[in-house]
Amino acid sequence: MRIGLQDAILPYVALCFLTGCGGSPPSLVVAVNAGVEGDALKAAAREFGSAQSLDVEIVDLPYANLFEKELLDLTSRTGAYDVIMIDDPWFPRLAQNDALAPFASQAPDPDFLQSCLDVCRLNGTYYALPYVGNSQLFFYRQDLFGKYGLPAPATWSGVLAAAKKIGAGEKMYGYVMRGAPGNPVVADFLPLFWAFGAEMFSAGGAPAMDSQQGIDALRFMLELGKHSPPGYAGFNADEVSAHLLQSTAAMSINWPAWIAAMDDPAKSKVAGKIEFAPMPSEKRKGVAGLGTWLLAVPAASKHRDRAFQFLYWATSADPMKRAALHGNPPTRRSVFLDPGLRAKFRALPAQLQSLESARPRPRTPRWNEIENAFGIYLSQANAGTLAPDEAMRRAAKDIAGIAAR
Amino acid sequence: MKKLPAGVPWIAPAVGLLLALSIYPLIYSIKVSFTSEAGGFTAAHYARLFQDRLFAVACWQTAEYLTVALVVEFGLGLSLALLVDSLGRGRGVFRAGLLAPMLLPPVVAAVIWRLIYNPQFGVLNGTLRAAGIPAQRLTWTSGESSAMFSVLLVDIWEWTPFLFLLLSAGLQAIPQEPYEAAKIDGASQWQVFRDITLPLLKPTIVLALLLRAMDLARIFDQIFILTQGGPGFATETVSLYIYRTAFRFFNFGYAAAMSFVALALTTIFARALLRGMRAGSAR
Repeated sequence: MRIGLQDAILPYVALCFLTGCGGSPPSLVVAVNAGVEGDALKAAAREFGSAQSLDVEIVDLPYANLFEKELLDLTSRTGAYDVIMIDDPWFPRLAQNDALAPFASQAPDPDFLQSCLDVCRLNGTYYALPYVGNSQLFFYRQDLFGKYGLPAPATWSGVLAAAKKIGAGEKMYGYVMRGAPGNPVVADFLPLFWAFGAEMFSAGGAPAMDSQQGIDALRFMLELGKHSPPGYAGFNADEVSAHLLQSTAAMSINWPAWIAAMDDPAKSKVAGKIEFAPMPSEKRKGVAGLGTWLLAVPAASKHRDRAFQFLYWATSADPMKRAALHGNPPTRRSVFLDPGLRAKFRALPAQLQSLESARPRPRTPRWNEIENAFGIYLSQANAGTLAPDEAMRRAAKDIAGIAAR
Repeated sequence: MKKLPAGVPWIAPAVGLLLALSIYPLIYSIKVSFTSEAGGFTAAHYARLFQDRLFAVACWQTAEYLTVALVVEFGLGLSLALLVDSLGRGRGVFRAGLLAPMLLPPVVAAVIWRLIYNPQFGVLNGTLRAAGIPAQRLTWTSGESSAMFSVLLVDIWEWTPFLFLLLSAGLQAIPQEPYEAAKIDGASQWQVFRDITLPLLKPTIVLALLLRAMDLARIFDQIFILTQGGPGFATETVSLYIYRTAFRFFNFGYAAAMSFVALALTTIFARALLRGMRAGSAR
């Protein structure tokens, strides 16, 4: 049997009708982190959509997938997203090659905290605005510090002394930290590393973590590890927080996203007993790691004007205050100082203090790779398979190789 | 107008899909593996493989994982298949019960085991403590020496049923006549197993081992959930390392080069396995 070309095309036409080819595309697509930080943005996008009569599509992606989807979209310039949520260490990589649309105004509202604004810039041009003002905080059991007559944890030496005393006096561990390879162990180590006066890179850009200060910081981390639960070398945020919530550990570095759970009696055995403080100091003043979430518009966005309109609106004071009520730390000073919010969220003063001096991870497009290499050796040191000086020496060697590529 | 053969429009979608989803990506990934970050031609990704100590470690650990899991899962799967096959009544109930772990998505199984393995709050250490065994320092997935054992245990728990299922089906397909003849001749149980069951089951064994080995060579989800390749690099496998290189470091060229080397190694292993089994059959 022979058939004509028209007959051959017919099944495809039918298939097109059946699968609903065509249809109107959404008028704004927002890529959001599927976590507590993204919930407020989802609510804001819906509010903006209904106010502007727009068909807003929210693409909800888990943290691990968000970066890869965004990077694929930006490098292939598909314009799949109009607004993207960016964790600040990703920014140098994502903003490369003009993949993000620059802001028309290069003088953002001075109400934004400077530490948050600094990570939105590449070569002097702003490509993003800060949306969630995340920075690490030091969580500690105020009741136990009172019971043992301990001063508030101002130095890391004080933290170690308190961990020993509380661990000896209570059926609990004095400290708990994230030791899983990659981001968890690096993020928990950096405040300690910086406080000991160490730096990831020298002024000339060479890896410098194997300095004496860096090795001392790692030795100190292992000392703290002796007062942490066994197996902490595999811990991530959920295990660390579970120890605090279950009252089996007394102190840790943590992110603001966990504050609400600590004070929720339904989830926590220590509601009202945890105090939140800026990072302890040691040889240098303590600084927290910055983990700000930014909003940006891909250069290939198909609705660039509308996307900027949404971005400016979402980061303005009133929507940011509503986001703060969802539990998102703000990036505007005026929102931090809002009396209503301060009455509702007791950690806000400590969060502001921490955020003002918080330090970003090194600004390099290869940070993910560097963090992974550093994390492997830190994790091995914490697992007891590498001595601190050897771990730092190997990390410096591998990171030099990454930087040279 | 030129007429097309009648079958062309009907096979064209399948051929088109195959070309679009398999052939084109394969050719494209070969091209990517020879492309530098600047976009030019390079063989540097393949050269780097020989200097990358972590890739060598990941390959070794994958081989270790594959071998141990395959041997244990095959041994247990065959034993269970023989045991259940010898049962009279209740065979169906046993079979359904044994298959349960395999029906769970690997990610779900890994999350459950992650909770079980938690040193302080997990069921495993809790049970050991309740039995008076000091389990305080048993850290399972967090210990450098115990992490690989812990992830292997999850694999064995979840995928032994797969081998059991295939081998069980193979056992049922063996005709009864040789067994009856052996019984008349007074053969022992061991002789029956060695000279009848094993040779007649060999095609199923080859298929089962091959399928499972290929799956084990690309192990990813369980390790990703349970240890993320840690502590340190203790449980890193080739798939995990390729994923990280491609999607965390965005170095697609090097990741593609690693994928092709992994594909070559898996092919060599599969051919060696097939040849070994065929040689065994010939004897």
